[in-house]
Amino acid sequence: MSTFDKYLQTIIENGAAEAHADRSATIEAHHLLLAIAGEPESATRQALTEAGLDRQAIRDALDREFEHSLGGAGVSLASFDLPRPSPAAKRPTQLGASAKLALERIARSHRKKDLRPAHLLLAILRAEVGIVPRALAMAGVDRAGLQDRVLQTLTTETT
Amino acid sequence: MSGAEIPSSQDPADALAAVAALRRLADQIEDAAVEQAMRAGWSWPQVAEALGVTRQAVHKKHAKRLIAAGVTLRRR
Repeated sequence: MSTFDKYLQTIIENGAAEAHADRSATIEAHHLLLAIAGEPESATRQALTEAGLDRQAIRDALDREFEHSLGGAGVSLASFDLPRPSPAAKRPTQLGASAKLALERIARSHRKKDLRPAHLLLAILRAEVGIVPRALAMAGVDRAGLQDRVLQTLTTETT
Repeated sequence: MSGAEIPSSQDPADALAAVAALRRLADQIEDAAVEQAMRAGWSWPQVAEALGVTRQAVHKKHAKRLIAAGVTLRRR
């Protein structure tokens, strides 16, 4: 198993834990992003930290996106005071549509042997619509600038 | 921040994001409400009928989670 495969497997496993805690039945791109931010892979995480995005900042941005998007339909989270449901018996194993799209973006643009952790983050950041770009925009993150910074980690690192 | 202001957005991105967020919220409310009902002693057929879905569907979606959470479930 290559280094990238191991990294990807770790991120998907940790993403599954994020999805489980989120009461989501599938592992989505934003769960992978949370996992990436929580994983001590130096170059990738540093690029996120430089943009002010540690795991908690991403979690907060995702929560804000959820509230804001609900607000678009005139719905306020605060109006529901049901108790928080118990989590699923098992962690989800299925990737959701947004995570699959990110992985397809990687597969389309790179040869397998060239892949490094930053490619996964880039593929997630390249989504133009959906929860991740909306949450990052709401957090005031310059997504294009962040992509450039992540790209730089790929060119400055030696292979 | 507060949910008080309701943006009447013309932007399709906002409308689509609202749909996605409503689906997530509906799932969360369903999980919480089914759990609350079963803890209160409702039966699967009652919960299914209240949700407007089949008994099989509601059982398949929630039974494992509720058993793992230690909820005592009525047999029928």
